[in-house]
Amino acid sequence: MVRIGPNVPFRIQRRAFKSRVIQSMTWSRGKDYYLLNIRIKHSNFSYDYFSLNNPHKLVIDISLHDEKNSKEDKILKGKEVLRKEEPRKEFPSRSSREIKTVVIDPGHGGLEIGAKGKFGTAEKDITLDISFKLKAIIERNLAFRVVMTREKDIDISLDNRTAIANNNRADLFISVHANSSYRKEASGPETFFLSQKATDEEARRLAYLENNSAELEEGIDRENEEEIQMILWDMAQASYLRQSSQLAESIQKELNLLLGTTDRGIKQAPFKVLAGVACPAVLVEVAFLSNADEEKKLGTEEFQSNVAQAVFQGLVNYLKLHSQE
Amino acid sequence: METKRVLILGVLFILLVVLVVLFFRSGGEERIRPSAEVVSPELESLSKKPGETRKIVLFFPSEEDSLLHKEEREMLADASLVQEAKQTIEELLNGSKNGYLSPFPPETKLRELFVTKEGVAYVDFSREIQEKHLSGSSSEMATVFSIVNSLAYNFNSVKKVFILIDGGEKETLGGHISLLRPFLPQYDLVAK
Repeated sequence: MVRIGPNVPFRIQRRAFKSRVIQSMTWSRGKDYYLLNIRIKHSNFSYDYFSLNNPHKLVIDISLHDEKNSKEDKILKGKEVLRKEEPRKEFPSRSSREIKTVVIDPGHGGLEIGAKGKFGTAEKDITLDISFKLKAIIERNLAFRVVMTREKDIDISLDNRTAIANNNRADLFISVHANSSYRKEASGPETFFLSQKATDEEARRLAYLENNSAELEEGIDRENEEEIQMILWDMAQASYLRQSSQLAESIQKELNLLLGTTDRGIKQAPFKVLAGVACPAVLVEVAFLSNADEEKKLGTEEFQSNVAQAVFQGLVNYLKLHSQE
Repeated sequence: METKRVLILGVLFILLVVLVVLFFRSGGEERIRPSAEVVSPELESLSKKPGETRKIVLFFPSEEDSLLHKEEREMLADASLVQEAKQTIEELLNGSKNGYLSPFPPETKLRELFVTKEGVAYVDFSREIQEKHLSGSSSEMATVFSIVNSLAYNFNSVKKVFILIDGGEKETLGGHISLLRPFLPQYDLVAK
C-alpha cells in the first residue's frame, strides 16, 4: 500500500505486463492510497524490494525457489523495475544503511577470454585471481560486504554484471581488467571511469525528463516510454560521474605509487559494463598483457597481491575523503 | 462509344500507375534508407570532374605513444558522400603508409556504409573486426576512434558514427567499449 499526500501527482501505468513469474499486476485506488497487487505464478518464492533515486524507482526482486528456474529468475531480476514518482519513505536509503557493499567485477570469463598475452596468459584468469585477492583484503580490513559478479570461470553478460551490482545495492563497483594495445611498448596501470558524451538529442531528452516527469507520463505513448525508461536505466552512472572520477583518481594514485609505474593517469571511456551501474564505479586495467614483461609479471602472486593492495588502499583513501564531507 | 471506353481505361491505367508509384515511395519509412537518397544536398551539387582528387586525413595509432596520429591521403573524388566515405574506410583498413599501426585485424572488410539525413554514419564491418580483435580497453578505443574520427573529420555532414558488425548491432568489440550508441568524434585522443 502506498500512501500519498493530496498534492502529489501520481499517475498509474495500466499497460499489460508480460512475465514468466508474474501472472498479473493490478492497481486499485483507495481514498488516500493506491494498492498494487502482484499475482505470482508460482507458490514457492521470496521477494525483496528497494528504491532507487534519480529517477525514482521501486525495484522488486522476486526469487523462485526452484533450481530449474533459477537462471531465468536471475535474468528477470534486473528487468522487473517499476517506476513511480514518490519514493516510499520507509525504505532504507543508500546512505542510511550501515554496512556497505562493494561489488568486484572480474572482467571476462568462460568462452570470453578477453585479452591474451603471447605466452598464453588469458585476461579472464588474471582478473579472477586479482579480484579474489582484493575481496580478501577488503573483508579482512573493513566491515564491508563484498560481492563478486563471478567466482568461477564462467560467461556472464555485461548487462548481468551491471544487474548484479544494482540488485545487491552496491555502494562501490570495481571492474578488474588487464589491458592490451597495438603498441608492444604500452605499459602501466590505467583506471577508467565512464565517459558518456550524451549526444545533443539525448541531453535534451534527459533535461526534459528531469523537468517534466508528470507531463511526460501523460504525453508519451507506451512504446516511446519503454524506450525512455531503458535509456535512463542505461545512463544510471551519469549521476555518479563526479564520485567515480574521485574513486578512479584515488585508485590510480595508489597503483602508481605501489608499483612504481609510469603514470598513465585516469581516463574516461564509454564502457558498457559501467553505464548502468547506480553507484560510483571504475574499471581498473592493471597492466598490459600485450607487453611481454607485464604479461610475465601479471602471472605472479606477488604482482597480483600488490595490485590488489593498491586498489584497496585507493578505495580506503576515497572512503576517507567522503567521510569528511 | 468505343473511344470513350478506351479513354476511361486509359485514365484508370494511369491512376493505377500513379498509385503504385506512391505506394512504393511512401512505404520505406521504417526501413533505414539507403545512402544514395540521403546524401547531403550541398555535396551532391558539387560537380566533380572525373579523375579529380581530394585530400583526406586518416587517424592511426602509433608505436610511440597512446594517441592517434593524422596521415594525409589523396583519393579520387566522388560526387557521392557515401562513396567517398567508403573509400576513406577502405584506405583506413589498408593501413598506414607512414609506419603507423593498424587498429584492425588484417582480415577485416567493410561490408556497407550509409549516412542518414540526421548525420549518423552507419559503418558495417565483417565479423573479423570482432572475432579477431585484440580485446582490451586501449585497443578497442584505438579501433573505434580511428574509424569515428576519420569519418567525422573529413565529412562535415557526418556528425556521429554507429559501428555495426556483420550487418547488426553488437555490444562491444571485445568486452569493453560500448557499440550500442553512436560515437561523437574525440579529437583529444589525437596527437598535436
